[in-house]
Amino acid sequence: MLHQNTTMFLILCSALVLFMTPGLAFFYGGLVRASSVVSMMMMSFGSIALIGVMWVVFGYAISFSNAGSGTFVGIDGFFGIDLQRLFLGTEIDLAKSGDGFGLAFAGFQGTFAIITVALISGAIADRAKFGSWMIFAGIWAFLVYFPVASWIFNFTVEDGKVVDGGWLVYNIGVMDFAGGTVVEIASGASALALALVLGKRFGFTKGMHAPHNVPLTIIGAAILWFGWFGFNAGSQLAADGIASLAFVNTLAAPVGAMLSWIAYEKIAHGKPTSIGAASGAVAGLVAITPSCAYLEPVWALVLGVVVGVVCALAIELKFVFGFDDSLDVVGIHLVGGIVGTLFIGLFGTNVGLFLGFGPEQLGKQFVGALVVLVYAFSISFAIGWAIQKTIGFRVTSTDEIAGVDKVLHGETAYSEADPRWTWKG
Amino acid sequence: MDQGNTAFVLISAALVLLMTPGLAFFYGGMVKAKSVVSMMMLSFGSLGLIAVLWVLYGYAIAFANGGAETFIGIDGWFGIDTSFLGLEAQVADAAAPAGAFPSMAFVAFQATFAIITVALISGAIADRAKFGAWMVFAGIWATVVYFPVANWVFNFTLEDGKVVDGGWIVYGLGVIDFAGGTAVHINAGAAGLALAIVLGKRFGFSKGITQPHNVPLTLLGVALLWFGWFGFNSGSELAADGIASIAFINTLAAPAAAMLGWIIIEKIKHGKATSIGAGSGAIAGLVAVTPACASLDPIYAILLGLVAGALCALAVDLKFSMGFDDSLDVVGIHLVGGIVGTLWIGIFGNGVGAAFGFGWHQFAMQALGAIAVLVYSFVISLIIGFAIEKTMGFRVKAEDEIAGIDTVVHGEEAYAFGADRG
Repeated sequence: MLHQNTTMFLILCSALVLFMTPGLAFFYGGLVRASSVVSMMMMSFGSIALIGVMWVVFGYAISFSNAGSGTFVGIDGFFGIDLQRLFLGTEIDLAKSGDGFGLAFAGFQGTFAIITVALISGAIADRAKFGSWMIFAGIWAFLVYFPVASWIFNFTVEDGKVVDGGWLVYNIGVMDFAGGTVVEIASGASALALALVLGKRFGFTKGMHAPHNVPLTIIGAAILWFGWFGFNAGSQLAADGIASLAFVNTLAAPVGAMLSWIAYEKIAHGKPTSIGAASGAVAGLVAITPSCAYLEPVWALVLGVVVGVVCALAIELKFVFGFDDSLDVVGIHLVGGIVGTLFIGLFGTNVGLFLGFGPEQLGKQFVGALVVLVYAFSISFAIGWAIQKTIGFRVTSTDEIAGVDKVLHGETAYSEADPRWTWKG
Repeated sequence: MDQGNTAFVLISAALVLLMTPGLAFFYGGMVKAKSVVSMMMLSFGSLGLIAVLWVLYGYAIAFANGGAETFIGIDGWFGIDTSFLGLEAQVADAAAPAGAFPSMAFVAFQATFAIITVALISGAIADRAKFGAWMVFAGIWATVVYFPVANWVFNFTLEDGKVVDGGWIVYGLGVIDFAGGTAVHINAGAAGLALAIVLGKRFGFSKGITQPHNVPLTLLGVALLWFGWFGFNSGSELAADGIASIAFINTLAAPAAAMLGWIIIEKIKHGKATSIGAGSGAIAGLVAVTPACASLDPIYAILLGLVAGALCALAVDLKFSMGFDDSLDVVGIHLVGGIVGTLWIGIFGNGVGAAFGFGWHQFAMQALGAIAVLVYSFVISLIIGFAIEKTMGFRVKAEDEIAGIDTVVHGEEAYAFGADRG
């Protein structure tokens, strides 16, 4: 068997990353009110289902098309599809001949596509139609995620240098180890677009709903963190020293961010909250995603401390500017993703401005972040607007006030007969 | 460098890291609904703080290389390897690993041990500890207790299967502690006892003072702990081999038996088998098999589990007879279970056990190691806890404790179901 160890590592890491999307469902689910937790979880699980299918059928063929092959249709490095990779054809042939690495890689990357789409749903809590969300998810994955993934993740390395690949990673030279741009910035920018399309919830103000189930959110944060080790360390595609470094940084940055977020809360509001601790950890995980292989652990700690405070401030923006990014996808994923992507240009080993390597890489990182932000935002806005104008994206106001779970899914998350669920009643 | 073993260590580290949130849910479900946020934050606070300390200097203390020129301190007792500060040497190694796996992978794996050991202590002070005071305690305790004790137990050099250098407990005494019965469980249990004494009893402390507010949350925690414990125990072999497989099976066998042992005692004593008892029994078995998982045939792991489950089910009543409020039974499960597991090796350990004709030498060494860690941890924890209580205060005010500390300390309520019913 060829590549047995790396294949094993990738398969396990894929399982970890797939687990992140249910984790996200719980993280988001605990934050909303008790009458929309089912809807919130279904947007994540819906993504798993739809994007999982699309990935196998044609998503992988777009994201990881080989422009040099005779079966490629499209523009090299920008947008195209490798017909032979439809239904993972090439990878299955290789696996049958004894090398499972390619198929494991397809599985691994499939989990990235799934969670990126699911991340967006945090911006439209309490008010999105499930069917409209599913349509958005499918079109978005096709037009935004699949091509952008090829710009960043699809490349060929020879002697440690990128010698061919997507235009951002190869032509521009953006460094993004595990997806600060294509996962975090893309989902954050799209979340902003959808928050604008759907508009504010009724009664949108600071503290409009207390999270209905704090432990559920903490469970989600824990599962996300657990899976993120697979996300970041697995992105090395080999269990080696760099994967180990990425792993340690995936511990160092979120703990730094967790502490700085709750320290900020303590200073600004008087009390450190558990939701703040969990949000801080996620902000640190977001920021370390592009940079986990390029930073020494001490700089990862610094990045965490910085991003924890920046994101704690950034989540207030929605009240200032008046967009209802309900569960802070913009404040955490967009802002955290930008901070982490740019940080490479400042403190990245062998490229960082502050380590004496000039501003060149910082400029490239900036271009990469900006391109993905603008592209994802504009396309998402167009898709979201088209859906809103045709089949409608938002539920009616009476349904929203009554709670979307019963209306959309015919379910209530917690049986009302249980007196335990009426502590606050 | 072997990619298979590196992958194994990394995946194991991820599993062990998940144990600390698991612990937060295990503990969180058992307290009242008004202190579950505080309970979880004691674990998550440990996770945040100890990981930072680990990167900065914790690893440099726990795994200091006594022979190196950059070493300062007393070899095998307490010292720091200055080239490991901020993981400098490990970063250099990551580019081209010299050993069987990158030292950075080992850094990650051991970090998760330090984190959960500190978090374990918090069960003793449920419902009444200030978060800030806990964080101060956690940082000092890790520095003066966990990092050096980990060095005594986990830091050693092997040649031909023999320990030829290392910390004084593992090398000097020859204690066998595969995954941390002493350094993790006895250590945390003794510190839990000290803090329970420092903070004193909760108001109205008596048997059944509070019902667990959320049983499924506690069982979810047990499940995550058990899941992660496979990484804890078999990952401690640092290679995916036969010994790791034995450790894995024993990590299934002992807790399974302990779960049965515990609920049988419950059935006999109280007439009913409880789910919290089953969960606690599993944890007791996991604790007991932690030091012993590589030294026992599975049949003796089952026996150990039965004994540990029954003993711990009885030991959790000690707090009522002796009057210390070890709220969530850190002493009854981790201290007692850790001692049972550590001593068990001296009786039934392969190649060393008295029951197999190898005499009582190993048993005596196991007892010495257990006592050393117990006394050291208890005394230092008592001093740190007492100093914090006398200066900044460790315990919340009486009225805050009665009102429930979540809103007072964290400004949060765990659940908001009724408000949304309309």
